[in-house]
Amino acid sequence: MAQKMLIFCGSDTPEKAFPPFMLGSGALALDMEVTLFFTMSGLNIIHKGGAEKITLAGAPKSLPEFIDILRDGGAKLIACSAAFPIIGIKEDDLIDGVECGGVATFVDAAQQADVVLTF
Amino acid sequence: MTEDELKSLQVDKKVDARGTACPGPLLEAKKSMVSVPVGGTMEVLSSDPSTNKDVPLWAQKVGHEYLGTVEEAGFWRIFVKRGK
Repeated sequence: MAQKMLIFCGSDTPEKAFPPFMLGSGALALDMEVTLFFTMSGLNIIHKGGAEKITLAGAPKSLPEFIDILRDGGAKLIACSAAFPIIGIKEDDLIDGVECGGVATFVDAAQQADVVLTF
Repeated sequence: MTEDELKSLQVDKKVDARGTACPGPLLEAKKSMVSVPVGGTMEVLSSDPSTNKDVPLWAQKVGHEYLGTVEEAGFWRIFVKRGK
């Protein structure tokens, strides 16, 4: 069975927003199952039109390109609904292919994961 | 394989990922391997110093065979044989 990596994406700061995708795409290439959990300002990454605004000079790909690679590669993208009212967004504001989850979803994914990374 | 053997290898696919940083070359290698027949070979050109470690690791983990690396001026030629 494939090993599982769970990545906690809690910030839209470029230095924190890009590494989950750089490492996540690499983990997919190494045949791992990858789940990204977005919460707090990290939700802005998967907000419609949000990823385009987050740029990092020297990164090998743009954030929208990385999102496509992760989604096409079968990664699971989970939006933390607990942070929706804090950030002021709703499910309809999110890009396609994202599912909503709560604290239990994260805890369950963390318990099943072989690796958990936090950004 | 020796450096001379690698240099004379007729590869099935050549991927030029020079100029892109990690994980760009690894992702290009993974994407391109799909079009290489099983048992066929691929050459990855990369100017990123970590590709030299990443591609052999990737090959080992997903069932391909790392054949070796030839160092050129400012870039590396990394050879992999498709295993599955």
